Amino acid sequence: MTIMTELKHSWIITIKEFRQLSRKKALMIPLFLFPIIMIVFFGYGMGGTVKNAPILIINDDTGTASNSLVQEIGSYTPKYGGDPMFSVTYTKDMSQSEAKSKIDYGSYKAVLIIPQDYSERLAKNETTTLTLLTDSSDTTTSGIIINFMKQFLAKTGSVSLNIPDVYGDLEYLDFLTPAVIALTIFFGSVATTGSAIAGEIEDGTIIRILMTPVSKRSVILGKTVYQLILQLARAVILIFAAFAIMGFNMNGSWLLVALVLVIFTLGGVGLGIVMSAIAGDMESFFQLNMIVTLPSMFITGVFFPLSSVPDWMRYIAYLLPLTYANDAMRAVMIKGQGLDVIGTDLVVLSLFALITFTAGVHLFRREA
Amino acid sequence: MEPIIEVRNLTKVFLSRGRKITAVNDISFDVFKGEIFGMIGPNGAGKSTTFSMLTTLIKPTNGSIKVAGFDVEKEDDRIRPIIGIVPQKLSLYPDLTGRENLELMGKLYDVPKKLMEERIDYYLRLVDLEAHADRFTGGFSGGMKQRLSVICAVLHDPEIIFWDEPTTGLDPQTRQAIWRLAKKFNGEGKTLIFTTHYMEEADNLCDRVAVMNLGKMVALDEPASLKEKSGSANLEEAFIHLTGEEVRD
Ligand SMILES: Nc1ncnc2c1ncn2[C@@H]1O[C@H](COP(=O)(O)OP(=O)(O)OP(=O)(O)O)[C@@H](O)[C@H]1O
Ligand SMILES: [Mg+2]
Repeated sequence: MTIMTELKHSWIITIKEFRQLSRKKALMIPLFLFPIIMIVFFGYGMGGTVKNAPILIINDDTGTASNSLVQEIGSYTPKYGGDPMFSVTYTKDMSQSEAKSKIDYGSYKAVLIIPQDYSERLAKNETTTLTLLTDSSDTTTSGIIINFMKQFLAKTGSVSLNIPDVYGDLEYLDFLTPAVIALTIFFGSVATTGSAIAGEIEDGTIIRILMTPVSKRSVILGKTVYQLILQLARAVILIFAAFAIMGFNMNGSWLLVALVLVIFTLGGVGLGIVMSAIAGDMESFFQLNMIVTLPSMFITGVFFPLSSVPDWMRYIAYLLPLTYANDAMRAVMIKGQGLDVIGTDLVVLSLFALITFTAGVHLFRREA
Repeated sequence: MEPIIEVRNLTKVFLSRGRKITAVNDISFDVFKGEIFGMIGPNGAGKSTTFSMLTTLIKPTNGSIKVAGFDVEKEDDRIRPIIGIVPQKLSLYPDLTGRENLELMGKLYDVPKKLMEERIDYYLRLVDLEAHADRFTGGFSGGMKQRLSVICAVLHDPEIIFWDEPTTGLDPQTRQAIWRLAKKFNGEGKTLIFTTHYMEEADNLCDRVAVMNLGKMVALDEPASLKEKSGSANLEEAFIHLTGEEVRD
């Protein structure tokens, strides 16, 4: 068979997959809506508030302008709740590193540092910068506190917020978005590929396809092209949603993001094929899928930095491909890094794709 | 008569959870060009497995098969375009319409678009499905699915047609419609090979019947001769005579 014929067959399969997708309206929700909800949900600190969270305010201001600010924070009560958000301890003249160690020790969830020249600069109508340290191991609380402070200070006008070293100098949304995209693409490509093939094995349709002159290669290629288009579209939608809803800013190269996602999607498709071949029907596939992919969500540092997890967990994370995708996506999207920085990640992800694809092609069977 | 399928010492052994299952055990036979060839045998006799090997879907463990002169293992890409298969499982995409299922098959067999559309319309009319062509097959009745499944397999005008239990679970009307199709295709010079559990169907339709039991081909002859040899009044009796009374797993 000529290459042109094979490509034509692949395209027929790709079109077929899209046509089937267009019929599964219910699938649109997990495919497109869930990831957006996830970003909004976590990005807004799970939409909740905290009660009596212990925070430390280091007020080094030599003037009095900061008094009202400090008081307002201390007495702030959420709209619907009775308890104040924070239980504030006040101090002066504490170094940032000492403050950090207090957070690490667990005494405080966050430390807000007001600089010496706060009143002075405010009087001169200059911008001043407050520093906020948060507990990076408690992302929920940190997220809520960060969001609260941002919104709160936005009202005061000329005060900006510096949040060092929490998620490797990222804000939570910035930290979260690239990884949620990687996670979404991974779960999506594995689950949609695998469940579709498992379904086709179950109802015998794949056999019918494989009885025609179409080659196994063409079928796999057709499904892969479909996945690449679908997953990249999801990524673009997610990035725009994060931008439109949460003000997320993409700093890096779209081309590199696409490269990372293409390679990662290939791995996901390969894994989906392997898992569907092992499972043989939809129900077993979904059970297998839970065991194989779900742990990635919690272990690979999608929601919290790997530096905040115990060693054993970090070692497991290094065995999971999502870890490398998260890392590459963060490096490119937020820090605007290039190939030199994400090279290792790409090698690992390519290896993952190569292994799963080889196994997938091998296991993808003609027989029932 | 000219053989179109030549099977020699065909064996298939499955490995299932460490156990060896000999589904087809050293069978040899020919199918002649233009005949209607029936395969009967109790559940698990190895009929579908034989079909899968004849249609290049799975590889034999041992032995050889030639279809239209081509070797199933080495020249499977020459065989596929000239055979049409209706699998035992109905195998239609439930979220595609009848017409979309047909078009998918037509395209994968590289039937030119215009010819394909003509054939689709023709066959839809032939099996009385034109009114339902644009409905999802998920909502089809068993008989409708089977009729659609049958015409899915002939859009590329194959020389040899394989039907695996085309009438199981269907009402008498649909069965007769399928029989008419069988006779029609045969009248066009196509070779038809099918399996069935209905003895009168094999009796009425087939030029020759092969009886399989436990992976072996225990008889192969014209229906009349089979009855005669076993001294039975009908094929059902001859069948029981050849394959025993015990119920298979
Ligand atoms: N993929 C497979 N793996 C393991 N065993 C199999 C496989 N396919 C078939 N078998 C076994 O091979 C034997 C023959 O099965 P086959 O489906 O060919 O029988 P059949 O004659 O078509 O039966 P039926 O009338 O029930 O359709 C059975 O014991 C079956 O369990
Ligand atoms: Mg069978």
